[in-house]
Amino acid sequence: MIKTQFALLRREFWEHRSLIIVPAVVAAMITLTTLTGQVSINHLDLLDMGIVGATNMPENARAVALSVAMISLTSSFIFAMWILTIFYTLDSLYAERKDRSILFWRSIPVTDFETVLSKLLTATIAIPVVTFVVIVATHLLVLLNISIWIEFRGGSPWNLIWTAVPFIDNWTATLVLLLALPLWLSPFIGWFLFVSAFTKRSPLLTAALPIFMLPLFEKMLFDSSVLAETFFERSIKMPLFAGIDNMELLFQEGEDFANFTGAKLSLLSLMDLGSFVVSPQLWIGIVVCGIFCAAAMYVRRYRDDS
Amino acid sequence: MTSLVSAHNVSKSFGSLRAVDGVSFDIEKGRIVGLIGPNGAGKTTLLKAVLGLTDCQGSLSVLGLDPFRQRKELMRNICFIADVAVLPRWIKVSQLLGFLQDVHPNFSRKRAEELLSQTHIKKTSKVRELSKGMVTQLHLSIITAIDAKLLVLDEPTIGLDIIFRKEFYSNLLSDYFDEERTIIITTHQVEEIENLLTDVMFINDGKIVLNSDMEALPERFVELMAKPDGVEKARQFKPIYERDVFGKKVMTFEGVTRDQLSGLGDIRTPDIADLFVAKVKGAAA
Repeated sequence: MIKTQFALLRREFWEHRSLIIVPAVVAAMITLTTLTGQVSINHLDLLDMGIVGATNMPENARAVALSVAMISLTSSFIFAMWILTIFYTLDSLYAERKDRSILFWRSIPVTDFETVLSKLLTATIAIPVVTFVVIVATHLLVLLNISIWIEFRGGSPWNLIWTAVPFIDNWTATLVLLLALPLWLSPFIGWFLFVSAFTKRSPLLTAALPIFMLPLFEKMLFDSSVLAETFFERSIKMPLFAGIDNMELLFQEGEDFANFTGAKLSLLSLMDLGSFVVSPQLWIGIVVCGIFCAAAMYVRRYRDDS
Repeated sequence: MTSLVSAHNVSKSFGSLRAVDGVSFDIEKGRIVGLIGPNGAGKTTLLKAVLGLTDCQGSLSVLGLDPFRQRKELMRNICFIADVAVLPRWIKVSQLLGFLQDVHPNFSRKRAEELLSQTHIKKTSKVRELSKGMVTQLHLSIITAIDAKLLVLDEPTIGLDIIFRKEFYSNLLSDYFDEERTIIITTHQVEEIENLLTDVMFINDGKIVLNSDMEALPERFVELMAKPDGVEKARQFKPIYERDVFGKKVMTFEGVTRDQLSGLGDIRTPDIADLFVAKVKGAAA
């Protein structure tokens, strides 16, 4: 069972090369941008001023400044990851029907349950883990790149960067967020898998239409907006941050980071993992995802396409 | 266990259409069964039921298992090549071998590599880079490397040129088949497989119209190319089908001995294609 599951996961990466390519392209773009960015900064002698400024900053403020920079890199990866997850899940059970290889896949001793499970695990665990590894590599690359410039201009990268960044805290928080996000958005993931299993054409349209049209119909027919609010809250109000307020806190502090002298910054402490894990919305979402996945398995098993 | 496949009153409907209609048969170990029928006769539906890809009414047992409910167990011991079960185009040959090695307990990678080394298929190639003939070769190599008890072939050589088709069947016999293995095969090119079958099954409108051992056919069926003066006399034996060949009447008889027809014309055993036409068209007339 476990060996089969690993083989199936590996298969997903063979078929969907974008699972590696997308995070790699984002990483390359970010790394290139920081490279060229530095060249122009250097030209304007801003780097020297930056080094002086950073050297005069309190240690905590430096940590905040660097953490905010790292978070902003991370956020582009999370955005790309979610887009990738949408396209991957919509394609995962559709492509095998489109290229008519489904009967081959069903001719080997693998159950429909195992197959759909492998797609779900790819979306909820494999994609976040790959994204995490690429994020860490990008952070290191970008910081290394900056260090070289600082060294070159006579600053001390060791003091200014490598001892200043709370790496473990930052990366742990990133990993928690990357793994929590697909769980929180799992009803959408389940819905996309289900659409991918049944639709005859354009999975993206088939999946998106109800998400936009149902709230509209609800408004027209009942003059209420329960669905719209549910979808909206699912999109932004992740209980990991106990609502949006904590996020704002982070940004406020970020804007003012040069004067930040408070307690040591910890991204982990901004997260409320406990209330996330026990929040009923999370578990309702997971149950909804489970129902959609069961429906996807049922469709794959009973439907006769050829 | 006596029968490898045992079907009793098996039916499958799509809406009001009964694709398979109360079919019963048994297939023993070590046989090569030709399942022959016109388009839309229910061949593929019946095979899908045998393979556990679709559910059906009635009782169907394959290797002692319920194919639809125990598909995973069944697939360890069954292989199939179908025109509709194509290999994924994005996969590399080496990836395919690696994947099967991981998920299929009865797959021998060594055997597959031996078989592939006799072809022009490179392990680094993707399926999309191979010709249709090579893809079928690859598929057959994989399946031969699986120690399966039952092989189901649904139009396996469709779209292949004659050299590949001949090679396919000769490899099938030399590399795959032995007394422990059983093959069910459907094709439109009946002449090509006629010599390798041990049993033949005709299906029409979802019903089995003939199920016979090949060796029993000459005793059961006779074809007569009647002399002009023998036609009326021959008709008394109630041919199941009559056709004209070069102005002569050719009649097919069932359950009539050669002795009874002697002197009425040239007597021979009908080939499968003619017999099929006789059974299907004769029944419709």
